[in-house]
Amino acid sequence: MSQTIIKQHIPRDDLLASGHLACPGCAAPIAMNLVLKALGPETMVVLPACCWSIIAGPWPQSSLRVPLFHTAFETGAAVASGIKAGLVSRGDTETTVIAWAGDGGTFDIGLQALSGAAERNEDFIYFCYDNEAYMNTGVQRSSATPWGAWTTTTPTSDPEHQPKKDIMAIMAAHRIPYAATASVAYPVDLVEKVKKARTIRGTRFIHILAPCPPGWKTQNDETIDLARMAVERRIFPLLEVENGGDWRFTVDHPGGSIEEYIRRQARFKHLTDQQIELIQTEVAARWEILSKRVKYGT
Amino acid sequence: MKKVMIGNHAVSWGVLRSRVEVISAYPITPQTQIVEALSDMVADGSLPAQYIKVESEHSAMAACIGASIAGTRTFTATSAQGLALMHEMLHWAAGGRLPVVMANVNRAMAPGWNIWTDQNDSLSQRDTGWIQLYCETNQEVFDTTIQSFKLAEKVNLPVMLVLDAFFLSHTSEPVDVTEQEDVDRFLPRREATFKMDTSDPHAFGALVRPDAYTEMRWHQQEAMREARDVFRQVEDEWEAITGRRYGAVEAYRTEDADLLLVTSGTITSTARTVVDERRAAGEKVGLLKVKMFRPFPTDELRSHLGGVDRVAVLDRNISPGHGGIFAEETRSALYDVPPEDRPILFGYVLGLGGRDVTPGVINDIIDNTRAKNQPEREDLWVGVEL
Amino acid sequence: MSERDVTRPNDTGRNIPPVAISETSTLVNPTGSWKYIMPRYEDRVAPCNAGCPVGIDIEGYMYLIRQGRLREAADLLVRENPMPAVTGRVCHHPCEDSCNRASLDEAVAIHSVERRLGDMILAAPPPPAPERTRTETVAVIGSGPAGLSCACFLTRMGYGVTVFEAAAEAGGMLRLGIPEYRLPRAILDRQIERIQAAGIDLRTSTRVGTDVPWTELDEFDAVFVAPGAHVGKDSRIEGAEGVTAIRPGLEFLKEVNAGERPDLGERVVVVGGGNTAMDCARSALRLGADVTVLYRRTPREMPAIPQEVREAKQEGVEFEFLAAPIGVELDGGDFTGITCQRMELGEPDESGRRRPVPIEGDVFTVTADTVLTAIGEDCDLSFLPDEVHTTWGLVEVDALGESTSAPVFAGGDVVDLPRSVADALGGGKRAAIGIDHFLREKAGEDVTEVPLDALRFGGGNVSALRYTKDEDPIPREAPVNETVTWDQMNPNHFHTVPRHEDHFHDAVDLRSAFGETNFGLTQKEAIEEAERCLNCGVCNRCELCLIFCPDMAISRREDGGFEIDMRYCKGCGLCAAECPRGAVTMTREGI
Repeated sequence: MSQTIIKQHIPRDDLLASGHLACPGCAAPIAMNLVLKALGPETMVVLPACCWSIIAGPWPQSSLRVPLFHTAFETGAAVASGIKAGLVSRGDTETTVIAWAGDGGTFDIGLQALSGAAERNEDFIYFCYDNEAYMNTGVQRSSATPWGAWTTTTPTSDPEHQPKKDIMAIMAAHRIPYAATASVAYPVDLVEKVKKARTIRGTRFIHILAPCPPGWKTQNDETIDLARMAVERRIFPLLEVENGGDWRFTVDHPGGSIEEYIRRQARFKHLTDQQIELIQTEVAARWEILSKRVKYGT
Repeated sequence: MKKVMIGNHAVSWGVLRSRVEVISAYPITPQTQIVEALSDMVADGSLPAQYIKVESEHSAMAACIGASIAGTRTFTATSAQGLALMHEMLHWAAGGRLPVVMANVNRAMAPGWNIWTDQNDSLSQRDTGWIQLYCETNQEVFDTTIQSFKLAEKVNLPVMLVLDAFFLSHTSEPVDVTEQEDVDRFLPRREATFKMDTSDPHAFGALVRPDAYTEMRWHQQEAMREARDVFRQVEDEWEAITGRRYGAVEAYRTEDADLLLVTSGTITSTARTVVDERRAAGEKVGLLKVKMFRPFPTDELRSHLGGVDRVAVLDRNISPGHGGIFAEETRSALYDVPPEDRPILFGYVLGLGGRDVTPGVINDIIDNTRAKNQPEREDLWVGVEL
Repeated sequence: MSERDVTRPNDTGRNIPPVAISETSTLVNPTGSWKYIMPRYEDRVAPCNAGCPVGIDIEGYMYLIRQGRLREAADLLVRENPMPAVTGRVCHHPCEDSCNRASLDEAVAIHSVERRLGDMILAAPPPPAPERTRTETVAVIGSGPAGLSCACFLTRMGYGVTVFEAAAEAGGMLRLGIPEYRLPRAILDRQIERIQAAGIDLRTSTRVGTDVPWTELDEFDAVFVAPGAHVGKDSRIEGAEGVTAIRPGLEFLKEVNAGERPDLGERVVVVGGGNTAMDCARSALRLGADVTVLYRRTPREMPAIPQEVREAKQEGVEFEFLAAPIGVELDGGDFTGITCQRMELGEPDESGRRRPVPIEGDVFTVTADTVLTAIGEDCDLSFLPDEVHTTWGLVEVDALGESTSAPVFAGGDVVDLPRSVADALGGGKRAAIGIDHFLREKAGEDVTEVPLDALRFGGGNVSALRYTKDEDPIPREAPVNETVTWDQMNPNHFHTVPRHEDHFHDAVDLRSAFGETNFGLTQKEAIEEAERCLNCGVCNRCELCLIFCPDMAISRREDGGFEIDMRYCKGCGLCAAECPRGAVTMTREGI
């Protein structure tokens, strides 16, 4: 067939119900659904402020078929630590506790709690679904916003100055047992990573790129294609880091021009060819660094 | 079993006896001995709790909230800056109806740095929905710690027990440490009304629109009102076991008094000695100790202060732009007392940042209160020397 | 005015709990109301199917092969194409030319797969003859691919069929025109026997018009005219009249294909660029001559199947392009060669190809012992009555082969250009359908208009299976008659796999070797080629739509298909965008 059939690798039962409030074409529910399928029903979710706080549904609804605790913005990792401690104190060491946060609640305001929990090697899986800005409040920049992007606080007359924060290096520096990047366009890779993470004790961190049609200014049906392109062109490589030192790529990254990826997103519409060249150079430089990490460890 | 211990350790012993299951801790002077002693107790196995050494107070409260929604009994302690940092999460615990118990060592708010006793830290949190209980002695601290868990779990509201920095936290007093079996009879294992449970999954704390938020806050307020009666019952049960009770307020030699002092915290014990001296000299002066600040004991204040000629409220705090907080709240509670029964109320601001409140100061206050027909201003600052 | 105490909550019975704990799932939210566009499973036509003049469900049999259902694949194939062992060898495979896979890496080698299935069918015993369920009889004139196809489908539909063949053996152009090295006689014979075994009355050496007068055909209820085009066009080379060395290529082929081995001398020139020219050239080569093909345009305009041209070149045939013969060279009455005019390409003509224009004064000689002309064939329609109209030497027919004088139908080389075995087979099938409809109507049965579009694969030929309303072994969801193009597919889900090429005879010296040169693929290789088929336009239940739907709005049906819950589908279009094979369409209909 020349198409690798993947359905047998994706668990069948949905732990996420329809009727949730995500925008059409949003990657976040795709990510959540795959993650919950991989984890199964013995899972508890901690949800700090982010798009998912709304996606989950207003009271008295919930789109999750597992317990869910909404919490304040910066507290994902701290509340997860507390829930896990509570479960363990009553003899439950099997229920998986996860935190599900956006890039704002991870890279910025949530970084302290995450760092603290990671340093203590608290036993939960921290998922960051990253749409590269504070999307829920209307597309303001975060430290995950890529260089050159428009956001409402980095207007096209003065777009984002800083490159995207290297969150994987930060998590690796904490020497946690497992950290990985994953993509909604590579569902089998994502599911396998989550299943693997589930079997590990200690702090696990999984970073998922989540294209956002309104925030990235793309069409609703481009989400998977862009997520795929980001991986293929080495903008968001898929990798694992174990114990902070062993890095490995988990899929092939053919590389190539990032121009199409950039040009398809109107949040980059204002960029000149030279600026796109700069981004290409930066992507190549980061790839070099990652390749060295894979080759030599950290 | 009687032991001599500092106030902070009285908290630790209370937590031990309460079989707390999850402790989160971030150090801040003058709370540190609470969490250090707990650390020892956990390490040597006498307290089989999960102990999370969080990286900030905000996370400390967040972790407690997590442990509480998981259905377990949880505790943390803090002071001043730490309490202020937790502010957002205090709302979360109360609005989330989680029976978290926290010991706050009353300490002044910076800047400038000041580690000594002052009530602004805890009183700044009065609108967060926490029950607040102020202690006068280390025995009371021990007793109140255990009672707080029972009260919290009964009404599903978080409880803050408050003790003065250094005067209690670091001062040794004898404490009768109730036996574990007796405490167990009083305080069984927590069975949460609601919790995270994979066999019965729910979402907690989702978006609530204007059409329902009011009702949830109504429930919270009703629980606060209920807490008064529940506290009474809790004290009944505790008294049956230990012979000790404190009351939401304690009226000390108030029966025929024409002047009453209203105090809280360690100032109370100083005031008791002054009242005794004055009474011995024939003056009809008495003292009303306020233990329970939230829910505010309006009825008790009205019944004890109504009909009294003069009242002097001693505030170790100030709400800038208004007055001493106990004074303002007492004044407002007395508003509905018939005018002829309404005392003249003198609000005294004193002891901020740990400044000593001596018997001499209290004597001057009584004299001043008798001397004036009206207070010159709503907040009378004591001993200001610019 | 109510005395209700405003300080107490409303007695609305709303039952707001003390804290925000969820009570229901979000399934109470009909988020489907958000959409302004919605998806629909709509299986479309693969371009191979649309491009096949025979009307074969190529995609269908490829699917069955991948499922390991080889027998069913063969059945589906022969259901639409009565002679796959032949077409697998000689068809010009427009299916492969349209194959979407070519945009990924290389087209699927459909002809090789068809050939393997065809050979597999021939190796098995023939099925029982179809039941004779109709009283009517049909006369078929000509036993070439068109005639045999029509006869075959008519017998399957229960009719009695008599085939009149002027030559001594059946097969038409297949036997007379196509050389053995392309189509071994054994294969052709077995294939014809198989068709005949269905109960056809085959009368060879019987020419209609001479051996059988046309009027005798009145005893039949319908007639299918498919005598083919056997009259080679006159080359009109000046001075060629009476020169025996210059002969029509088709006549030469008939000799060779009948088993004769004429001596053509050492140098042979073939004039023409079609398949007949290639057949002549390669046959002449095998008779020991050095062969040059003269063609007045360039390779791009050659009508011959590219593979034939390639093989001719590989075998050593020389080509002289932009050259047309204008005269003969004689040396004292002996023929020595021909005079050629050098051409260049000018403006396009009606066929769309650029017209050859002589270059003034540029003339040259090509020596030759024999010249074979193969510049096209004409039909001999002299036996047809006037009521059956013809135009430009071709019989006028409608879409189902009905002539201007029912019950006469026609098909194959006599009705249309361009001509091919596949077009003939397809024409025979369509005419069988036309005849069946005609006869039923005549018998007073309640028949509706033949729904041609519904029977077609895209713009391609009709399916017999659909006409007889037999069950489609391929599960198709709400099929529409649109061909799916490459840009409607999502290539990201495919990986490249090199194509298996046919195995060829590696003998260098082909002289006097008329054995089959192309051995096709092994069974394993053919199955691997079927694995390369992308299943364009038809859902293969890969479930990517389900996996990528952000709203979990797609669920599995009991019968294996999918259902989209429109109460929740927000119309994002990810299912359509990610479907590898374009089987999901976004539409505004029904919003």
